[in-house]
Amino acid sequence: MVNIVFKFFIAISCLLIFRGLVAEPLLDGADFDYGEYLSGQCLTCHQNSSDEGIPAINGAEALYIAKKLILYKNKELENEVMQLVAGALDKEQIASLAIYFNSLEK
Amino acid sequence: MNNLSRRSFVSFALASTSLLAMPAISTGSARPKVVVVGGGAGGATAARYIAKDSKGAIDVTLIEASKHYYTCFYSNLYLGGFRDYDSIGHSYDNLSANHGVNVVHDWAISVDSSARKVRLGSGATVSYDRLVLSPGIDIKYDSIDGYSVEAQTKMPHAWKSGTQVKVLRDQVLNMPKGGTFAMVPPPNPYRCPPGPYERISMVAHILKEKNPTAKIVVIDPKNKFSKQGLFMAGWEKHYPGMVEWIDNDTHGGIKNVNPETMEIETDLDTFKADVACVVPAQRAGAIAMNAGVTDGDWSPIVPASMQTKADSNIYVLGDASVASAMPKSGFSANSQAKVAANHIRGELTDSRVFPAKFSNTCWSLVATNDGIKVGANYKAGEEKIEVVDKFVSKTDEGNAKRKKTYEESIGWYNGITTDMFS
Ligand SMILES: Cc1cc2nc3c(=O)[nH]c(=O)nc-3n(C[C@H](O)[C@H](O)[C@H](O)COP(=O)(O)OP(=O)(O)OC[C@H]3O[C@@H](n4cnc5c(N)ncnc54)[C@H](O)[C@@H]3O)c2cc1C
Repeated sequence: MVNIVFKFFIAISCLLIFRGLVAEPLLDGADFDYGEYLSGQCLTCHQNSSDEGIPAINGAEALYIAKKLILYKNKELENEVMQLVAGALDKEQIASLAIYFNSLEK
Repeated sequence: MNNLSRRSFVSFALASTSLLAMPAISTGSARPKVVVVGGGAGGATAARYIAKDSKGAIDVTLIEASKHYYTCFYSNLYLGGFRDYDSIGHSYDNLSANHGVNVVHDWAISVDSSARKVRLGSGATVSYDRLVLSPGIDIKYDSIDGYSVEAQTKMPHAWKSGTQVKVLRDQVLNMPKGGTFAMVPPPNPYRCPPGPYERISMVAHILKEKNPTAKIVVIDPKNKFSKQGLFMAGWEKHYPGMVEWIDNDTHGGIKNVNPETMEIETDLDTFKADVACVVPAQRAGAIAMNAGVTDGDWSPIVPASMQTKADSNIYVLGDASVASAMPKSGFSANSQAKVAANHIRGELTDSRVFPAKFSNTCWSLVATNDGIKVGANYKAGEEKIEVVDKFVSKTDEGNAKRKKTYEESIGWYNGITTDMFS
């Protein structure tokens, strides 16, 4: 039950953030077109069709994506490829990728 | 009437009627045209991204000689028995069905860069506003004395997409008990730096199971190679005593090969093999030479866009380009294709052009569940593509991590082939 309420809360806040109704500092400066371009780098490996070996990320919550990328950037999550990719992204690029992947169908 | 001229005839007919009836309607022929030659890692990705992201505003034609693309990546895993051959073959159907790419299966024979036209094997010509060449490599057969087109059935290179790797697998499976497999890797620069050493690992994997007294001798024209420490530690661990790697300083240079006697002669010695994989030196696919955009064996490019230095209407991607710090890999070609696609769209439709970002990771399989990787990301410098940051697997990693790396490579294979062909 708690889980469902939590998910609902996250979904509503993401919707509001996406519509610009609530400010979310992690998503400041997000640029959809830039996110679309940058996503090319992710799509060499991440695919929607399968989770085998590498997770599918389409339609994931924007905040979740942004937070994960920051953890990889800070080397707080392990995986050399992700640390490398995230390490080269600035705040605006992370925010742009987050809102772009969130917009894709799961 | 061939396909192309029929198509232009139809659009001409449409244009004439619409001119009479509704002059304001623009027809397909008014759209800017991009022609992509080569439907591999670079070309298929470029065609797909330009068509997909321009949402029909750009007319994209892909010229590819083969009906199916068999990836060189994972062909070593086919060789080692980890994949079946069909699983590394891909069709072009989705590029036309899902993105409207006009796929023409033919050879591009020549490029007239002043008239901006490509001539095909059928005799038809296709005109372009921007041309993307991603023809991969050609083998320099004359770079090794005694090697030739005919020699490749006896001593296959299996370094291009296609069935040679099947020939090689049959030869390895049928090798006499206790026989010798010889490998001659190519000199730098070449397609897929870790590829020859992954191939050795996969041959060792088969022999360990089916022919454990057999030997592998590697006669290298180089003194060091990609992921060397990792491969050599892996060979010692999984195939102790089976692989002997001889560097150039030790054997003193490869003088010639003889496909009849199956001999490889060096300054030091003459090696007799039962099965030999000989991979000669390489150069950009012939169409890049024909288009006049090469300097020596490869095409110099402008790092920010992948336009050639010789002609700003022509882009060269992948193995055929001089991508400086980036290795010649499928991952690199796919990454470069997206930079070029974004730039081409910007030029032809005024869409936004973002700064170039490149990356590469090469996974290799050393033995069952023992995967290793090397990777880097890159930026466009003034003159060269430059490394920003890099990593390589460590020799002392645990088995669980190595297994994960192998599984990650399966994810990557599914990813890149979807990114090229879906
Ligand atoms: C054994 C081996 C293992 C490898 N493993 C990996 C790996 O694990 N990871 C990795 O990233 N890379 C790997 N590679 C490298 C990878 O295959 C190449 O770097 C990549 O395919 C290069 O892409 P490309 O677009 O330049 O050329 P290609 O993918 O070779 O595509 C060129 C295409 O152009 C077509 N063509 C050429 N000329 C013409 C013409 N005139 N007209 C029409 N069509 C034409 C060809 O038919 C071909 O389909 C491996 C290579 C080998 C040999």
